[in-house]
Amino acid sequence: MKAFRRFLGPLVIIVTLSLAGFAQPLLDKARAQDMSSPGTEPQSASTTQPYTSSSLGTGESGYISPDQAKGVGPVDQSAPLDFSTQPKTVPHVYVPGKLYNVQVDTQYDYAGLVLQMTYQASALGVQCSYCHNVANYAYDTPTKLLARKMLIMTNNIQHAWVDPVKKDYPNYAVNGAVGCITCHRGQPRMNVSYNIVPVEYLDYRYKSTKQVGYAVNSMYSVAKSLGVNCLFCHNSADFISLQYYPTNQIAHRMWRMVDAINHQYLPPSVKAVTCYTCHQGAKWPQALVTAGLNQTPVEALAAHPEVHENPGAHLASGAQL
Amino acid sequence: MLEFESTYRKPGNTLLGLVIGRDPFDFWAGRYYVGLWGAVSVGAALLGTFFLFFAVGQYGDWDLWRANIHPPLREYGLGVAPFAQGGAWQVVVVLASVSFIAWALREVDICRKLEMGFHVPIMFCFAISAWLSLQLVRPLLLGCWCEGFDLSFTGHLTWVSNTGFRYQNFYLNPFHAFAIVGFFLSAMVLAMHGSAILGSYNTAKDPVLEEANVDNFWRDYIGYSIGEYGIHWLGFWLAIYTLILSDLCILTSGPWIKDWVAFWQWHLPWFPQ
Amino acid sequence: MATVISGPALPPVQIPRPSYRDHNDSLGIRIGVPFRIGFLAKFGLDTQLGTLWLGTWGVASVMFFVAGVFVLIWAGISAMQGDVVSYVRYFANVQILPPNGLGMAPSLAAGGFWEINMILWAISVTCWAFRCWERLMRYNWRPYLFFAWVSAILLTTTIWVFRPIAMGTWAEAPGLGLNSDLDWAQNFSVLWGNLYYNPWHMLAIFFLFGSTMLWGMHGATILATSAEGSHHEVAEIKDMHSGSHKSMLFWRWVMGFNANPKTIHDWIWWFSVGVVVSSAIGIISTGWVTNDWYVWSVDHGIVEQYGPMTRSAINQRPNAVPLELPLYFPAPPGAVATTNGDKGVTK
Repeated sequence: MKAFRRFLGPLVIIVTLSLAGFAQPLLDKARAQDMSSPGTEPQSASTTQPYTSSSLGTGESGYISPDQAKGVGPVDQSAPLDFSTQPKTVPHVYVPGKLYNVQVDTQYDYAGLVLQMTYQASALGVQCSYCHNVANYAYDTPTKLLARKMLIMTNNIQHAWVDPVKKDYPNYAVNGAVGCITCHRGQPRMNVSYNIVPVEYLDYRYKSTKQVGYAVNSMYSVAKSLGVNCLFCHNSADFISLQYYPTNQIAHRMWRMVDAINHQYLPPSVKAVTCYTCHQGAKWPQALVTAGLNQTPVEALAAHPEVHENPGAHLASGAQL
Repeated sequence: MLEFESTYRKPGNTLLGLVIGRDPFDFWAGRYYVGLWGAVSVGAALLGTFFLFFAVGQYGDWDLWRANIHPPLREYGLGVAPFAQGGAWQVVVVLASVSFIAWALREVDICRKLEMGFHVPIMFCFAISAWLSLQLVRPLLLGCWCEGFDLSFTGHLTWVSNTGFRYQNFYLNPFHAFAIVGFFLSAMVLAMHGSAILGSYNTAKDPVLEEANVDNFWRDYIGYSIGEYGIHWLGFWLAIYTLILSDLCILTSGPWIKDWVAFWQWHLPWFPQ
Repeated sequence: MATVISGPALPPVQIPRPSYRDHNDSLGIRIGVPFRIGFLAKFGLDTQLGTLWLGTWGVASVMFFVAGVFVLIWAGISAMQGDVVSYVRYFANVQILPPNGLGMAPSLAAGGFWEINMILWAISVTCWAFRCWERLMRYNWRPYLFFAWVSAILLTTTIWVFRPIAMGTWAEAPGLGLNSDLDWAQNFSVLWGNLYYNPWHMLAIFFLFGSTMLWGMHGATILATSAEGSHHEVAEIKDMHSGSHKSMLFWRWVMGFNANPKTIHDWIWWFSVGVVVSSAIGIISTGWVTNDWYVWSVDHGIVEQYGPMTRSAINQRPNAVPLELPLYFPAPPGAVATTNGDKGVTK
């Protein structure tokens, strides 16, 4: 008995470790089923119809299908023109000075249209030959078709998402409109990168501390995209609540806009647009279209100093930017 | 008076006595030693408390938890603000600082009287450094008194929370992390020391054997016994380490680093996500 | 024998060493040849390193701890897809997260490593607690150290085990990793309404800062009076000499109150244990007493209300006043502005 008690300890250790050895096959099985991403994502709300662009009267949804995104790029000028697939309005012989096959930019005359085209070309950092067949500018190339969709999308974004924000929050409004340059910034294929937290998280009841951690990480990206800290939108005492600062509510709308851009306009093959794409580290995108307007975004920023402060600085103590 | 106290209560040996040769404040009020610095400290504290109540009365919320005295707004910079818009805060902070420093000097006086080392006032000076770093040095470095914290129970908690979010994630401040290590180590070592003494006193007949017992216990348990002098050395320097790092953690936030998340990406260029 | 820095010279004593072996425990041996580090004497620290008492519980504890460390490193390297160099480079950012829900994790990477590590380290700290009790009884000490250790592991168990079980998911617990643990503190506070307004958190901070303050006070006092031998605390409890007199008088004259060589250790013990006990209560009551400490504090009048509080879809706030404003701008006519079904996240 005494001998048994002497060696009881090591016996227990050896037995336990042996049992761990028997667990090896289970471990191997678990490792074989390895998933790369942990946890479950929240279930997304189902969606129905895509957004329609009533503002331009084209009746088109603005959605760019994967087929349309394929094969776009600089137009092959040496390819033969095939008029069988073209709309009827495209002439076989192009005469400069007349308008043919204008479907979206219908409000311009010829000179205005050329000006608009020049702007688009410089915003994307390309020449006319990128989208057009220079022998026949009215000819619809795949790139030109995509550009049309982009125009619809840009107009949608401005009228459906950005204009209402400017109307409801005049202190945060800037004279300027979203244009090609806002996202493309002089690149025909713009820099896009990884997705941010999906929009489901906006209305979401977080299931755990681990899950809210994913959201907090993406919040950091949002903050850096605008060049601000957490307190620009959040009240640190009552962090999750939305009703303190207009910035929080604007951010929610912007988030839905980004989500709409990513899922309703752009095909899934294109990686995502995020806050940084337009804002690039500034509270307002520095590249807005101001043709005909009398204030650049930089001037607008200077004219609204109150937005440099954290909006709730007078509500909770301290912490200015 | 404690039974042995009368032999230790001796006049003289104070700082003021060093300077002007005599010290009219060199007396005890009951069990408390007064001294010049005691008078200054208590006087500043009473004056500050008066202004405190006066200011709280102006704001109107008398609840002990919520009553708040705000620092001045950003527009006053490093100047003096009107009393009701932050001037009260400035007055109370100055008086409090004077009171704390006078308290430390009073401790020096008492050390000189009792002919003991000056470790206690030195430690207290490190504690004062934490207060001054927050309310004086950092606002000076950042160029406005608005950077100090509210004098309020829950108000100062909100200030801490705000400051944390202002730098995106304050937990990632390495000075903060190392200071927290200091705090937790202090708590652990404190528990170990307290347990050792409380566990072992009067358990054996011979106190020398009892002390040897403590050494043997720690050697058995963790392989090292730091010794009865050494443990107090360790506690002293742990507290100083913790305070120095706390000072550093708040002084680097704002004057140097504005984003502690980005700080960790020093080995990566920040690229947009 | 402890290095005595100063004070009255104590007579050299042959101390009868505790027995070399414990015959009820095959691993109950004292190992090692003690060696000296002379450099430590410059600071007044004891120079002897070793011996160490093994004991079955100690061996078991160390083995399970080392096994846990091994699993942690293995998990970290597998999280970096086998690239050891980048594991070392991004060591602070490597995280091993818990699984969702309770029960066994679906796979090693999705929480399995975390669970294995938890089990190993839980066994390790329990074995250490048994070791602690065994040594205390052997030396015939009062079990203060045991209760201090038990309260410390009760706190960590509350954070890592009890509260996740009570909340129904392991994902409430912190992950394993430097920055991920720090992020957990941030995320926890964000989700549960800002922990600064949790009164037990306030108490815990009071005890924590108070512990450091007491260390400063007690350590400084003993160092300042060590010339008179106040550091022989066990002897001074029996019979006070001038060092202890001066220590007591210093504080009596400064703040009107003093402890004595025994009761100061009561203060420090209760303050340090108070940290972990208040923290544990604060942690376990998050999600149970309330799921939003800011709202709770406003309801109890502790905090001023900084603005309107809403009954938000994101968290339940039964005490909050509902607001009339709509939460979001209603979608423009003809649009349902959400995502494309359960394609969900695009990566």
